[in-house]
Amino acid sequence: MSYAYLFKYIIIGDTGVGKSCLLLQFTDKRFQPVHDLTIGVEFGARMITIDGKQIKLQIWDTAGQEAFRSITRSYYRGAAGALLVYDITRRETFNHLTTWLEDARQHSNSNMVIMLIGNKSDLDSRREVKKEEGEAFAREHGLVFMETSARTAANVEEAFINTAKEIYEKIQEGVFDINNEANGIKIGPQASPTNPSLPGSGGAAGAANSGCC
Amino acid sequence: MEFLKSGIKTVLGSTEPGQQPSAAETVEKLVDRVYSSTLLEDRRDACRALKALSRKYRIEVGAQGMPPLVQVLQNDGQDAEIISYALDTLCNIVTSEEFDEEADNPTVSVNVGEQFTEMFIKTPENVSLVMGYLEEYDFRVRRAAIQLITSLIANKTRELQELVLVSPMGVSKLMDLLTDSREVIRNDVLLLLIELTKGNSNIQKIVAFENAFDRLFDIVHDEGCSDGGIVVEDCLILLLNLLKNNSSNQQFFKEGSYIQRLAPMFVLASDVEETGWTPQKVSNFHCMLQVVRALVTPSNQQQVVTACQRVMQKSQLLQGLCDILMSSGVPADILTETINAVAEVVRGDHENQDELSHVMAPSSPPRPAIVVLLMSMINEKQLLALRSAVLYCFECFLYRNPDGQRAVVQTLLPSSTTDVSSLSTGQLLCTGLFSSDTLANWFSAVAIMHTLVDNVALKEELLRVLLATPGGHRPITLLEQCTNLMQQERYRLQSKVGLLMLLSVWLAHCPGAVKALLETQGTMAYLTAQLCANEHDEREYLVQGMCAFLMGLCIQFNDNSLPNQRREDISQLIIKRIGQETFCNKLSEVSRHEAYSRACKQAQIRAKSAGELLLDYEYCKLYKGLEALIAKLVSGFDVDGIELTELTLSSEASALVAQYKGIIRGMDAQIQQLQQSVKELEQQNGEIKQQLGQEQALKSQVSDQITLLKAQLLAATSGTGQTPAPGTTTNNEEELNAARYQTNMYFAENIRLTKELETLRQQLQAEKQRADDASQALKSTQKDQEDLLELLADQEAKIARYEEQLPTTTIATPSAGSESETTTAATNPMPQPTSLIPTNPIEAAPETESNR
Repeated sequence: MSYAYLFKYIIIGDTGVGKSCLLLQFTDKRFQPVHDLTIGVEFGARMITIDGKQIKLQIWDTAGQEAFRSITRSYYRGAAGALLVYDITRRETFNHLTTWLEDARQHSNSNMVIMLIGNKSDLDSRREVKKEEGEAFAREHGLVFMETSARTAANVEEAFINTAKEIYEKIQEGVFDINNEANGIKIGPQASPTNPSLPGSGGAAGAANSGCC
Repeated sequence: MEFLKSGIKTVLGSTEPGQQPSAAETVEKLVDRVYSSTLLEDRRDACRALKALSRKYRIEVGAQGMPPLVQVLQNDGQDAEIISYALDTLCNIVTSEEFDEEADNPTVSVNVGEQFTEMFIKTPENVSLVMGYLEEYDFRVRRAAIQLITSLIANKTRELQELVLVSPMGVSKLMDLLTDSREVIRNDVLLLLIELTKGNSNIQKIVAFENAFDRLFDIVHDEGCSDGGIVVEDCLILLLNLLKNNSSNQQFFKEGSYIQRLAPMFVLASDVEETGWTPQKVSNFHCMLQVVRALVTPSNQQQVVTACQRVMQKSQLLQGLCDILMSSGVPADILTETINAVAEVVRGDHENQDELSHVMAPSSPPRPAIVVLLMSMINEKQLLALRSAVLYCFECFLYRNPDGQRAVVQTLLPSSTTDVSSLSTGQLLCTGLFSSDTLANWFSAVAIMHTLVDNVALKEELLRVLLATPGGHRPITLLEQCTNLMQQERYRLQSKVGLLMLLSVWLAHCPGAVKALLETQGTMAYLTAQLCANEHDEREYLVQGMCAFLMGLCIQFNDNSLPNQRREDISQLIIKRIGQETFCNKLSEVSRHEAYSRACKQAQIRAKSAGELLLDYEYCKLYKGLEALIAKLVSGFDVDGIELTELTLSSEASALVAQYKGIIRGMDAQIQQLQQSVKELEQQNGEIKQQLGQEQALKSQVSDQITLLKAQLLAATSGTGQTPAPGTTTNNEEELNAARYQTNMYFAENIRLTKELETLRQQLQAEKQRADDASQALKSTQKDQEDLLELLADQEAKIARYEEQLPTTTIATPSAGSESETTTAATNPMPQPTSLIPTNPIEAAPETESNR
């Protein structure tokens, strides 16, 4: 399948916050209530459309356990986007965000887009972290924030697609060096490298599209 | 060398002639220099000397030199030359390779390099120190560091892998070196990565994440694909390391459209026949085929295999492989591996199987590729590996492919449409089966067997196959011919194993085939004789086990349609002639044989020698599934032929039986209760109907009276109206009043009765409803009861037998039905409408008359 861009994502966060379930919901549109612990890293992929362009997402779902931390660190550098996930029903997963973020900032390239995800929003009765707290944390650290539910699929699409949009905008602004594959971005085989800009018209069209839909 | 010697001289000073210092002394002095010299030049010279000595005096340098060399690495990082000497020296010490210089040194044992590696990595910081020098751009330093790490990994793979994983961005840094513009560095890194990725899926994934697939394909293309040199082979070996048994990377490979990059590499140049296949091209091609197989091998995750198979068809990779199959001049081992690859690309994928069946060989007349392949399978002169590969390919072609299976069997059936002149798959397989080549017998038997796997309809069809016999005797069925061959002395053991597998698969789940086998001459006698024989050859044991299995199938799938050959009869035969114990022992011979575990391992047929070809994967699967069942079945018959299998019911099973009995008992009570209540309700219904009839009769009586009175009244009023005699007016009026009063009374009475009737009707309706409900409930309960009674009958038969066995066991029967009485009493609201009925209206009439 042809694509204009390829983005590499990673999903990070404490163990049991639902990283693998988010990926499964996004790639296979299904929810698996009992999921084995991820060992090391697992791979998933899907095609999305942004601004009329086909974008291929390659997603590496990492293990949350401390034992795999040194392995998962190897994935920061080559990723263009990261979903940092916590569990809204477990306060400690929220408390660990700072550590995760430091780790990510230290090992990734400076332009990596990080999206903060409060998962398990369907379990509102067991909520321990208020939505406002997530929002505040994201604002403080310059992240995009969303609450999702891998079970009901609420906001799952949006989480991945919004991250892609952010990366796409950064490309349009010329922040990313798209010729350096170490950034986790690849230009598609048929897209000519002179074409991908036209930022003004492209962005406007995108806005118009989202407006009418 | 002269230069080095002079170097040593300058460092050590000239020695007195005739008094050569020992190597250990020299090394000691050098080590001392490295430690204590303040001038960099001195340390550098000492390092250079150590490096020169390290090849010949590895043990001396390794034992004393390691700490000072590490110290150099720690402190002298700014001088590339001394670092490169230190790294080279360390590399010489730890390498597993044996140098020519030390060949005559008896103290160097085989694993001295490994021991020094162990010493070196005991301090993990040493490894990170060396890894740090990978970032040094200087050619000598970088290359020496790469080589040292490669040697370390080769010696202590697991430990080094862990160290690299924990070192921050360790794998990523190594991957960066692949883009080094200096080819020597790049090629050395390839070798390093091949060692590093061996058997460690975490490292494999990180390497893949760092764009390894892109890098490797770029290098392979730059180097000229399969025509390239050894670097191409190195790239492909690394690719293979990344993909083998790593489903995440396989998925990434597929998703990243790398199969599409692989596919064109299989297109052979048109001039390949002239240019020929260089040994390097053979190696490269071999690796490419291995990469394909790593993606679709049957042990991979099913969904990955299926997805890859689809892409391989769409990207025309399969077509490329088929073209290689049909082109000439391809070396035999490449051809063999291509057949294996085609096998796995088509296995279980209908579209791919279809594509393979349509491939035509460029012969005249053109023949289907499968026919050509089978021709080489039954050809004695072909290589064993190639013949095995063809069988594997044929099996994969038939795997989950009922259409393909049918097509093969169809060529054997008598039909006018088949062209007699052209060779068909079925004909070839029969030729192989009856040929004098033992291997051809075995291959053909297994191939025919695979047309029957999981396909009962075709097992029946194949029974219809008739073979012409020489001398114009009556035609003989294929099954009959198989049993004849099996009994022939000249038919060798391997061929018999093949036939026994074919017959077993044929008979399994097909009573028709069992019947046909039992009807053949002497087969059962032969099997019995085999089982009674007391051979001491390991391979004979295998045949005996397979005979036992075949006999067991004759019991298990026997539909008892042949008198004297029913299940009991065969069991008696076993009991009286062979003995149950012996039978079960022989039966288990199959799984005890080494060929069994070998065949179970994988679907692919691998044999180092022809003699190893004995059991087939699918046969073992069947055997695995039925062995226990048959053993249980046979040991379940006793001398009188009564099946005792139920005796082996486990405690859970008997608990279950007891539980069912309880349920049945409860249901029974419930049914009785409901039947009783239905009876009562019907009775009530009858009574109410009767009452209603009475009421209706009464009502019509009353209304008759009313009409009569009305008529009287009319007559009376008309009489008074027409002749109003003044004298009688008052009298008349009085009479009229009385009559009116009476009429009113009757009216009231009438209304009351109608109302009464209405309520009675409603009551009747309700009762009817209840009766219906009750009878419905009764019906369903009766149905339940019937089911349960059936169950009970089964269970009771078993229990009867239990009880024979265990007469002391008693079953408590809980009393039932006491509850039913109370319920029926409650559901009996007898309506008492009689009290509401007024006293006879006729009685009221005289009262009015008396008023008069």
